[in-house]
Amino acid sequence: MTPNPYFFIVIFVGVAVVFPLMPLGLAWLWRHFFQPPKPGAQKNATYECGVESLGEAHVQFQSQYYLYCIIFLIFDVEAVFLVPFAVAFTGLPVGAFVAILIFLLLLIEGLVWAWSKGCLSWAREKSVE
Amino acid sequence: MSEQIDEGLKSELQKQGIWVTSTQELYNWGRRNSIWPLQFGLACCAIEMIATAASRYDLARFGGEVFRPSPRQADLMIVAGTVTKKMAPQIVRLYNQMPDPKYVISMGACAISGGPFKQGYNVLKGIDRYIPVDVYIPGCPPRPEALLHAFMELQRKIDGQKLTGENKAAHLDRAQPSEFPVPAFGAHDLEPPSNLDLFRPPQIERV
Amino acid sequence: MESLEEIKTRVEAAVPGADISIIPNPGPANQPSLLIDNEHAPHVARFLRDDPALRLDHCSNVTGVDWLDRTVTKKVKVKKLVEGEEKEVEETHEEFFPGYLESVYHLYSMALKQGPVIIRMRTADRGEGARLPSLTPVYRSADFQEREIFDLYGIRFDGHPDLRRILMWDEFEDYPMRKDYREPDDYEYEPTPHDDVLEKAKQHYSTRPQLDGAEELTAQE
Repeated sequence: MTPNPYFFIVIFVGVAVVFPLMPLGLAWLWRHFFQPPKPGAQKNATYECGVESLGEAHVQFQSQYYLYCIIFLIFDVEAVFLVPFAVAFTGLPVGAFVAILIFLLLLIEGLVWAWSKGCLSWAREKSVE
Repeated sequence: MSEQIDEGLKSELQKQGIWVTSTQELYNWGRRNSIWPLQFGLACCAIEMIATAASRYDLARFGGEVFRPSPRQADLMIVAGTVTKKMAPQIVRLYNQMPDPKYVISMGACAISGGPFKQGYNVLKGIDRYIPVDVYIPGCPPRPEALLHAFMELQRKIDGQKLTGENKAAHLDRAQPSEFPVPAFGAHDLEPPSNLDLFRPPQIERV
Repeated sequence: MESLEEIKTRVEAAVPGADISIIPNPGPANQPSLLIDNEHAPHVARFLRDDPALRLDHCSNVTGVDWLDRTVTKKVKVKKLVEGEEKEVEETHEEFFPGYLESVYHLYSMALKQGPVIIRMRTADRGEGARLPSLTPVYRSADFQEREIFDLYGIRFDGHPDLRRILMWDEFEDYPMRKDYREPDDYEYEPTPHDDVLEKAKQHYSTRPQLDGAEELTAQE
């Protein structure tokens, strides 16, 4: 009689569960019988450079940072399109050249707009109204 | 487990192709062959420590090549170099953050006693004032062979540690501390200047 | 490069009111220096930096020096009338020089490849008056070195942008490179104590005999 084809998957899942649990269980048993846990304030401290931590762990980024990221992304995508265009430049018709010029124009227009909004100046005192 | 296997019986069995061991031996064998040092150097001794870990001297032969950048993953602290008083609290804090079992090699004259800077104003006169040291290596700086020797001595020490009984290893003993007080920066010196539970200045005996 | 005397006259002409004197150095190095009064020091330094003939644009080294109070006894022969006769009598004069702190700047010219010109400033005393004008606004490289002098000698530099301790910790109160600094008593066993270390050992054992088994040592001395 042939076993159910899903039977092997059940075995696989079983091994996959037991395999990581075994060393964890062994470690638990070892702790229980031999090595008492010795937690401490410094041992459990988050920062591990030998220096005492100061201030808040939650650092708030400026929203400016995300604008910067998005503008960078525009140019990243532009590079992705421009590199294959430049490689195949000699074999392309005039239409393709015009198309890529329009594409560039759109991006430049976006850049000019972002620039005029002040997105490119870092760490301003006040946001643009 | 505290009962040791009779050595004669053991070798007799080994001749017959049966290999017997105890949990303690297996445990210590595993530990002594994968000692991971904490990756930090304080002064010129660190150069020798780097040379020891590199290919010519090859600390990997003894299972100690995995220098860990985090104290959470380290077993061994090689205090390689001059410990200034400004650095001492950080060293003690790093030692406290290492999980048990943990060992300390005090490498070089400065880490042992302050070395040539002993009479100065800003050098700690030996890291053993604050944390327990297992192996001391003299030298200024010690050659890589000396560090290898210290490493082998440490392996020998680990091999001899008991799992149970009266004089079992410190990390298995609930009463033994795992953290040591960190000295504070005082107005004139570190406060306290040494951990007197741990460190007693040597007695002078003059005839 | 022009001599120090020439530099002195030119500086005095350029910075009116500046009180400059030449400190000779009779040692083998033979590097005389210019002592500049504190009030005009930044102006003088700026002149030395910008003068087209000097262009000392590089401050390579800033050093602190501690001069303790000292008394010099001099024997002077004075003619006096003793019992109607004129005799030569030796009299001892004690002259007291109050201590002060100094900072010494070694200036070189990278552009004209010349130097060093050494300038120094003196504080009024070793206590509250241990203040000097900072030359960091003129020489950017003096920043850390002035901080180090502040840390180890305790000279306060007015106008320094960030005057904090640099080597010792912030809570530290002493100035360890001063000649009268006494380090904390954490003496321990020394196999062959001698000279200063022996002195320290004796003091240590008189204060903390319970720790180090000092009875033998004091009994032996």
